[in-house]
Amino acid sequence: MLSELIPNLDMITTIILRGAAVGSLFAIIAMSFNIVHNATGILNFAQGTIFLLGAFGAYLFANRVGFMVWIPMLLLVSLVIGALTAAQGWLTLKPLRSSVEQNSWLISTVSVSVIIASLLMLNFGSAGNMVHGPVPRVDIFGVRTPGAFLLAIASMFAWYFILRWFLRRTFVGLAISALSQDFEAARAAGLDVRKLQLLAFGISGVIVGSVGFMVAPMISVSPDAGLRYVLNGFVAAVVGGIGNNTGTLIGGPMVGVIAALTAFYVGGAYQDLASLTVLVLILMFLPQGLFGRATARKV
Amino acid sequence: MTTTTLASRTAAPKVSTSINSDRQQLWIAVALVTATGILPSVLGNSYWEHSFQLVNIYIAVSVLQNFLFVDAGQKSFGQGVLFGLGAYGLAIVSGIHGYPLALGLIAGVVAAALGGLIFALPALRVQGFHLGFVTMSAAIVFPQLLFQADSLTQGLNGISMSIPSLNGKALFGISWLTILVTITPIAALFLHYRLRNARIGRQMRTAAESPEAARSLGIRPGVVGSMAFLIAAVGTGVCGLLFVPAVSFVTPQSFLIDLSFIFFFAVVVGGRGQLLGPVIGIWVVFTLPSMFLVDLALYKPLIYGLLTLVVVILFPDGIVGTIEEFRRKRAAEGGGEHAFRLESLTEWLHSLPDHTVDPNAKPIISVRNGTKKFGSVVAVDHVDFDVHAGEVHGLVGANGSGKTSLLNILNGFSRMNEGVYTFDGRDVSTAAAPTIANHGLGRTFQTPRIFPSFSIWDNVRVGLDARETPIPAGLQRLIDGMQAEHSGGMPSMLSHGQRRILEVVRVVLKDSRVVLFDEPAAGLSSKEREDFSALVRLLSRKLGTAVVLVEHDLDLVWSIADRITVLETGRAIAQGRPEDLAKDPVVQHLFVGGDHHANA
Repeated sequence: MLSELIPNLDMITTIILRGAAVGSLFAIIAMSFNIVHNATGILNFAQGTIFLLGAFGAYLFANRVGFMVWIPMLLLVSLVIGALTAAQGWLTLKPLRSSVEQNSWLISTVSVSVIIASLLMLNFGSAGNMVHGPVPRVDIFGVRTPGAFLLAIASMFAWYFILRWFLRRTFVGLAISALSQDFEAARAAGLDVRKLQLLAFGISGVIVGSVGFMVAPMISVSPDAGLRYVLNGFVAAVVGGIGNNTGTLIGGPMVGVIAALTAFYVGGAYQDLASLTVLVLILMFLPQGLFGRATARKV
Repeated sequence: MTTTTLASRTAAPKVSTSINSDRQQLWIAVALVTATGILPSVLGNSYWEHSFQLVNIYIAVSVLQNFLFVDAGQKSFGQGVLFGLGAYGLAIVSGIHGYPLALGLIAGVVAAALGGLIFALPALRVQGFHLGFVTMSAAIVFPQLLFQADSLTQGLNGISMSIPSLNGKALFGISWLTILVTITPIAALFLHYRLRNARIGRQMRTAAESPEAARSLGIRPGVVGSMAFLIAAVGTGVCGLLFVPAVSFVTPQSFLIDLSFIFFFAVVVGGRGQLLGPVIGIWVVFTLPSMFLVDLALYKPLIYGLLTLVVVILFPDGIVGTIEEFRRKRAAEGGGEHAFRLESLTEWLHSLPDHTVDPNAKPIISVRNGTKKFGSVVAVDHVDFDVHAGEVHGLVGANGSGKTSLLNILNGFSRMNEGVYTFDGRDVSTAAAPTIANHGLGRTFQTPRIFPSFSIWDNVRVGLDARETPIPAGLQRLIDGMQAEHSGGMPSMLSHGQRRILEVVRVVLKDSRVVLFDEPAAGLSSKEREDFSALVRLLSRKLGTAVVLVEHDLDLVWSIADRITVLETGRAIAQGRPEDLAKDPVVQHLFVGGDHHANA
């Protein structure tokens, strides 16, 4: 009985690896939430479908190619998606100037998500597409692991450290960090707040676009997958504490491993239910997240 | 020409009541729903009859979403789940298992209510986008579960169920079903209208507009928000019940996340908060694309997504809201001079007998050793602070000296790290703001909490809503006068000083035994200042109200306070009567020019 519940070592390695890899994607989406949230107070609901845009970029321009094509395409697709996201940011921030209603962004980012998903649906149909990347499979503890898994985990750390360096060591990064403290003070200090906010949107687009491109081989490249990623990315952000990138390093893989365990023991269709349960529990009992920032929040 | 101007001027309050068009919108909406519900049957067109059955059910759901989203401020992207729970509850119990219809109906509503409870639970703790994500996740997961739990739901095969008795003709060839699905959105509209104009509805809107202001008025935002979720859930569940006979078939495909988006987008496109909004919204977002894009179903999400984006960016008030705003601007012309004044209130207070103060009474609020830390910063440092009934107590000090921190402790916004706080003998050291407010404490804010979507009268009225004691006859007359004068006026017409005064009147009408004023005189004209000073004196002398006054205008404080506490870096460095304190050297440096008050 017990032996049925405890799978063999290979199984465990597979579950953990898979969970950690998928979870890294959630962490990356969470980081992209954080940078926009810290700069604008907005959570971009479209981040999941933007992530998918990267994957579709790989499907269109870099399927079954070598590194010589793959790398330039990666850069190109990431930048284009970054620019598109900055444009979305411009649209999103526009009504905030005039409208009394402060939650317009909630509606506009959701509608952008719907628009992107339906455009993808119209062009590519609803079936999932397969993408083959240039990174070969690797043996880890005797488990043949797709290269994209490693790429996912590596890009989580890469983006974490790049962001850390950018936000703490560069003038522009520090300015963006300053926005999360106090808009008015930042404006008074002579910072062009709107430009920095658009930059934050753009960076978030580059992050999810580049990773979506790189990990296309390990995900289902289908238009309606975006919502799954935005949901799980949000859960990862909440578990780690919204605004806290270090928290996402734990939050993302944690959500990923829980989903993988649920898929193994209960069934693949219940993964999102598991994430939703984690989300509700965290919000009920630890609304600041496991590593939430204790700074006084404006009410 | 002149006579009409005069007439309209004398009738100013009457004219301005038309600024709120809820009632007109309600009747237009009822007329539209009735027409589209009944006419196809009368004309004998069964295609349109069928189409509009679904449309009217969707309208009812959107009306409830409108209430939930705007009036209660609960951002839900998952109303389709509650709708689906209602439908599946009925279809499983009566459709698959053949239990009596009544049982199925109850099962559907109970299922939806339980779903609403699950949404409401996180709403007790979190708001805004958190709730948006929770409900959106539920909308993603719901069809997956319907599909998976096929032993219960028959999975992808769905459940066929018809209720033949509902297809019987009631009158003029109109079926019972048609009548039901026409009445339901009308009932939802009336529910929305009634709730909006009821005390609980105003409390929900107050909590949605400013959770702090709500808490300071004794409202628990989480509780009223959850209540709104439950009301909307039950109503949406009823709509789900009707979906079954209207379509005769339920499958997980009927309740994909797109459905939730339609309900939500309809509210936005129609006009957030407008009673008529959801009717127009569903027509634009759902009905028109369904009619004209029958063969292009794939384009529907693109159409409503784009529509919503365009509306949010170009016409944030939505279709009805934009028309309404245009109309309101024209109607407001000439009626804009609704000054909000204190005189009537002070006159009434003058007419009252003096309140006798028992000199031996214990202080009504008493803080012992109160300490509040933010990280390493000690905002309030071992402060002892007493205020007696009928006393005006000034709280002065430089910026950052801990005045507002102390106020926040007094009204329960923040909890002390050390110390004991009693209110009328009760230990409230760990009580929440709404509890303390209900014991009889009111406050104003540095930035007045005036709700732009409320009329001036409703802004005042939320204070009355929080009142626990009966209203004396003299005050009632005064209140009636305010209602007549300010029902139609919107607070956007008020000057900054008048907004402050409005908030003061609100807190006075709440009938608080203790009132905290946080920099009430900032931005007031000298006349308004005088009125305000007179009011504070009267509150303490006539009603026995204890007043705590945080104010930078030291002349004002010294002229009306009975006692004063001086704070510096969180510590109470001096306490006493104004005339004694004015001579105290530690207080001298507060005054620009040194001995300003020593000679006064």
